[in-house]
Amino acid sequence: MYAGAGPVVPGSDAAMKGAGTQQTLPALRGILQFQMSLDCPLRYKRLTIEVLLDRLVLRRLYPLAIRICEYLRLSEIQGVSRILAHWACYKVQQKDKSDEEVAHAINQKLGDTPGISYSEIAARAYDCGRTELAIKLLEYEPRSGEQVPLLLKMKRSKLALSKAIESGDTDLVYTVVLHLKNELNRGTFFMTLQNQPVALSLYRQFCKHQERETLKDLYNQDDNHQELGNFHVHSSYSEKPSSTIWVFAARGFPPSPCSGRVGALQNAVDEYYKAKNEFAAKATEDQIKLLRLQRHLQEDFDKPYLDLSLHDTVSNLILDGHHKRAEQLYRDFKIPDKRYWWLKISALANRGDWEEMEKFSKSKKSPIGYLPFVEISVKHHNRYEAKKYAPRVTPEQRVKAFVLVGCAADAAIEHKNETEMNFVLSKCTASTDTAVVEKLNRARAQLLKK
Amino acid sequence: MYNECCVWGQEGWRVSLAISALLSVAQRTCQGLQLLVGSCAEECYLESDQTSLYHAAKGLMTLQALYGTIPQIFGKGECARHVANMMIRMKREFPGSQNSIFPVFDTLLLLDRNVDLLTPLATQLTYEGLIDEIYGIQNTYVKLPPEKFAPKKQGESGKDLPTEPKKLQLNSAEELYAEIRDKNFNAVGSVLSKKAKIISAAFEERHHAKTVGEIKQFVSQLPHMQAARSSLANHTSIAELIKDITTSEDFFDNLTVEQEFMSGIDTDKVNNYIEDCIAQKHPLIKILRLVCLQSVCNSGLKQKVLDHYKREILQTYGYEHILTLNNLEKAGLLKPQTSGRNNYPTIRKTLRLWMDDVNEQNPNDISYVYSGYAPLSVRLAQLLARPGWRSIEEVLKMLPGPHFEERQQLPTGLQKKRQHGENRVTLVFFLGGVTYAEIAALRFLSQMEDGGTEYVIATTKLINGTSWIKSLMEKLEPAPF
Repeated sequence: MYAGAGPVVPGSDAAMKGAGTQQTLPALRGILQFQMSLDCPLRYKRLTIEVLLDRLVLRRLYPLAIRICEYLRLSEIQGVSRILAHWACYKVQQKDKSDEEVAHAINQKLGDTPGISYSEIAARAYDCGRTELAIKLLEYEPRSGEQVPLLLKMKRSKLALSKAIESGDTDLVYTVVLHLKNELNRGTFFMTLQNQPVALSLYRQFCKHQERETLKDLYNQDDNHQELGNFHVHSSYSEKPSSTIWVFAARGFPPSPCSGRVGALQNAVDEYYKAKNEFAAKATEDQIKLLRLQRHLQEDFDKPYLDLSLHDTVSNLILDGHHKRAEQLYRDFKIPDKRYWWLKISALANRGDWEEMEKFSKSKKSPIGYLPFVEISVKHHNRYEAKKYAPRVTPEQRVKAFVLVGCAADAAIEHKNETEMNFVLSKCTASTDTAVVEKLNRARAQLLKK
Repeated sequence: MYNECCVWGQEGWRVSLAISALLSVAQRTCQGLQLLVGSCAEECYLESDQTSLYHAAKGLMTLQALYGTIPQIFGKGECARHVANMMIRMKREFPGSQNSIFPVFDTLLLLDRNVDLLTPLATQLTYEGLIDEIYGIQNTYVKLPPEKFAPKKQGESGKDLPTEPKKLQLNSAEELYAEIRDKNFNAVGSVLSKKAKIISAAFEERHHAKTVGEIKQFVSQLPHMQAARSSLANHTSIAELIKDITTSEDFFDNLTVEQEFMSGIDTDKVNNYIEDCIAQKHPLIKILRLVCLQSVCNSGLKQKVLDHYKREILQTYGYEHILTLNNLEKAGLLKPQTSGRNNYPTIRKTLRLWMDDVNEQNPNDISYVYSGYAPLSVRLAQLLARPGWRSIEEVLKMLPGPHFEERQQLPTGLQKKRQHGENRVTLVFFLGGVTYAEIAALRFLSQMEDGGTEYVIATTKLINGTSWIKSLMEKLEPAPF
């Protein structure tokens, strides 16, 4: 049995020099067989390089194995790296040397040789109970991702988190974060995340999809009132409303995180004010006001109103002829005049209530002019009504109005305006408007003669 | 002749494998590598999730394993910086993987979508861009309304019209499509009519074929001619469909307002056209695109103007859109003006983003793809090649995110010696999405005579204004009563 350092074989170097692989191999085998004694039957015909090296390694004949690799010009990954890795794993078991020394010695020997997994060597060290050595070895592992599973095993979770983030692999980060969640108590867990924004964002996303309630705690910790406001708005849409909540949410009752849609919205209002987001707070207050109103409308008219936009609510009211109620909303919610007029004439046209539209058009000067009235009437195939408004349109828009109504040619001819005539001509189609085209061309020719 | 390689995958490994499979087929002629990795925009900008960036970095490592290490990396934006860092780190982690492949790409340009928020918001005006805007192209397929595609048989009654949408594949294997896809839509008509004349003439040849040999030759050409004729018919129908929309008053008014904003007119006031559209309840996405465009062209809106728009939108379309508005603010699309300064005019003038004398028929500048507006992202690529980013240092600082340059070591034998007249090859990688119009603009640069650079395009996703805004919207529906 051979033990100890590598063999000294006289003439072996000479045998290896200057001979091709084909001839060398049997020679090699011969030499080694001699050295390694004959207690294991060697079928040297079937002995491949890999097996040969394995046997050398098993017997810890590392230098010899390496020299054979180099001579046979095996690639680093196939040859030397494997041997070195084995050697390193053996080295970590040497209890007599300190962690420092062992780590240093290994790094010296291995350097940056490709194909070596420091994490595997570190794992071996950890298995032998040498945790500190394992951590030192892990420092040399260039692939941060590889470091993580072992670090978790060694209960160095915070370090594992940093390494996972360094690697950029978000799946890995998730793994560590969830591991931490189970390992640490809530407070410590949140504190750890606070220091790692990348991990925090990922965890937030996880909560958004899996544990919405935790999101609230996260935002509370940050004092992020804007996001808390958003959170409550979101909740209000997934809450099921109940009639008792309407009572609670009445004005004057102190706001508290009670369930129910209006309750959630009220919470949102408070958070938005804290976040100094006046716009969002007021918009949400308006929405609460609207929901309450819609509830009444639904009861009064027995038609769905809840969750419609303000625009649709007013539109539906007009469609059903509840003009006073519509006016009320227009005032209460301060709908801008222009928008209200567009809304009203669309709804009236849909309803076919031309009388009411005419009345409305005369109620005061239209903030949107009278072309919209023409357009809407024509859209609903009512030329008769459209004709009523065409004359009230401003001069610049008059031709357009008349084109829509169909008597544009006459207007242009009446005005003796060449531009208008050209405009109308451009809108004529050859097939249907031949008479009109003729009329216009004659009028234009007359004009040009002058 | 160029092809697309459409690669899509949700997980990194699928992306890497798919790239290697396709790249081995596509070779150097491939000009559009599309790595569609998940939903990059919402992830990166709304939730600070960098998963898709990780996959992008991995994809690039695979690319380099096949096509050689890219010696120069330029980038602009936070995500770009992150991807470059990951690439450098990944290279370090596998030190033995130095390959001996002669590098195909000279430069890699990484661009964040949020460096140029303007371009996707504007309506694209190239043929392919308009098809995508109006009908949406999915993995090179488009579904179109069938009426114009029904074969015209004499005496056919209306009842035989197909009801299923017509599905067509659009890629440059089709000769006619390759010719017109990147043209401004206004230049397409003349190409189609010229083609019609050529094909007619070709078919007329049958009258001139007298000998058996001539007839045989004519017959052998027949399949190709028939394919050309059917291709022409399809694209004529598509062009008609598009023309119906582009000649409408609504399209014209919308485009006018877009161009006013992009040329810097009245971006600080509430816009009447937008107000009227809201009042008539035009589609919400159209409104959002316009207000975001105004905000970007003004470096953010004054608080009063912003609040007015937001109020109009919530009152008209519903309170449930409040979270969408919040998302748009987070993404930088619709936000209040913070610094009190509008940087856009400086950026516009220095980078020549608005070109008054655009030539749609025979363009000499990339601004033809939007009939006047040159996509900012493509301008950055153009200026990087010549004269380099140092000339626009000040403007680059006004755009969000860091800009940087990295060099990767090549083994000495592989350093490229440029032959006289040989073009550099630049891979432009858009992190967060790219539009067809930007791709057309980059292809235009590649084809320029004295351009000096050939561009290959990669992206995490193909987008248009509508799909992009949709991805940033928060869908809130109330639980049923």
